[in-house]
Amino acid sequence: MTMKANRSYLLLLAIIAVGLASCEPNEVENEGPLRNDLLKKTTSPAVIGDRIEFVYALGTLEGTLKAARAEASIPGAVGTGFSRYSWFTNRSTGQDVPVLTAGDTITNGAVSTASILDGDNNKALSLRYYYAVPEEARGKTVTFRFSGTSSTGQEVTVNSPAYRVSRMDMKRQITLKDAEKCYVSLSDMTAYTKEEVEQKGLSGKIDFVYVYRATLGTNRYAFGHALVSLANGTYLSDLNLPASWTRTPTLLDKRVDVKDAQLRGGGFDVYIDDTDLERTTFTNSADFAYNLAADQGAFVRSGDGSYVAYVFVNNVNNTAKTMTVSIKRLQVK
Amino acid sequence: MKKQVISTLLIAVSSVFLFGSCEKTPVDADGLLITQRSQCYMTFFDALGSDHRTVLVAGSTQIDTTALTVKAVARFGTNIKRIKPYSSVVTDAIVEPNMGVWTDFSTPQQYTVVSGNRKVRKTYTITLTLQQ
Repeated sequence: MTMKANRSYLLLLAIIAVGLASCEPNEVENEGPLRNDLLKKTTSPAVIGDRIEFVYALGTLEGTLKAARAEASIPGAVGTGFSRYSWFTNRSTGQDVPVLTAGDTITNGAVSTASILDGDNNKALSLRYYYAVPEEARGKTVTFRFSGTSSTGQEVTVNSPAYRVSRMDMKRQITLKDAEKCYVSLSDMTAYTKEEVEQKGLSGKIDFVYVYRATLGTNRYAFGHALVSLANGTYLSDLNLPASWTRTPTLLDKRVDVKDAQLRGGGFDVYIDDTDLERTTFTNSADFAYNLAADQGAFVRSGDGSYVAYVFVNNVNNTAKTMTVSIKRLQVK
Repeated sequence: MKKQVISTLLIAVSSVFLFGSCEKTPVDADGLLITQRSQCYMTFFDALGSDHRTVLVAGSTQIDTTALTVKAVARFGTNIKRIKPYSSVVTDAIVEPNMGVWTDFSTPQQYTVVSGNRKVRKTYTITLTLQQ
């Protein structure tokens, strides 16, 4: 083999070595006797007022676990912090069983800490950390840095990816009753009575009215539970609304297959996020949605175009003439 | 000599398959197969509302393949301005313009069925009326 060939061979080896070195993970802290890992349990969009749940796992082969710490890039709202319990699954029943694991759990600003109790569980545990999404995080991204320490003085850390916080608002379980609290405003996601609308001069901000009519029309066709814009001249004629009321032409687009898990309270891994409300189109949409049943809903655009919302129907009651709705709403202008 | 004959035959057969498979099959601008069929008619029509459920009253649809009309009744309360039409047509035929897009049916709409050989065209007028 010539000298030139040797040089080429060495150069090739060097390139391979550099290549392999560049494939090594940046985080090497997790290779010692104290190790940690992070799991984000919440799969839904991060909405202001809701919580994101993490599981922070720690384990040590030397000494015992002493403390866990989480630092959020944006301080969480009230309710942020570690739970004092870790959990294990009972193999007989399949149920998750809580175990008191942390003595003190403190949240001060962006930092939350948990002191691990001495006991059988201080060698390996998984603590729950809840981040209550604050108003300050609206539309921003938030990251978390978790760390744990052991009695031997060792420390491990793990950084979360960046999570985007939704711009939209959410309000659950608003009860509407025909001819009573049935005038709904998207701007404050509240239902009003006719008297309240009259007294406070709210007609301009009422986006739809809930009505229940089992049948309608001369041939008594099924109509059921409906959300109707004040501008609709057909289906609200029996309400005798004052002529002075402002009637904004709200657009509604009924859906039967959008079962948002946050609005519904679980059941389906389907979520409406900002992008869905931003991209929904209302070309030639109606100013009402009728024959609504539980688990159905409607995309709604307020008359002045300020808000786009999804109104999910949690339940309806034909006898009481009520409907319970939950709303995700995005201000679009 | 026998081996040579067999080899020649094999090459010949392979060539037939090879060049045969490269023959161009006629397709239209949308990549759909153009066939020999000249039949040209609509067999089924449906109209969906914003909730992607049919808005038609069961049994109300009348397809007249001679008069080239489709008449259907939409249920009371249907927003007839936002309808997604669908149809079935005879084998290999297509419909122009494409159905399956939000369409205003407050006035009758026209769709043309084009036969599999793309030589026969029949324009249907589809009228939706609302239950009153």
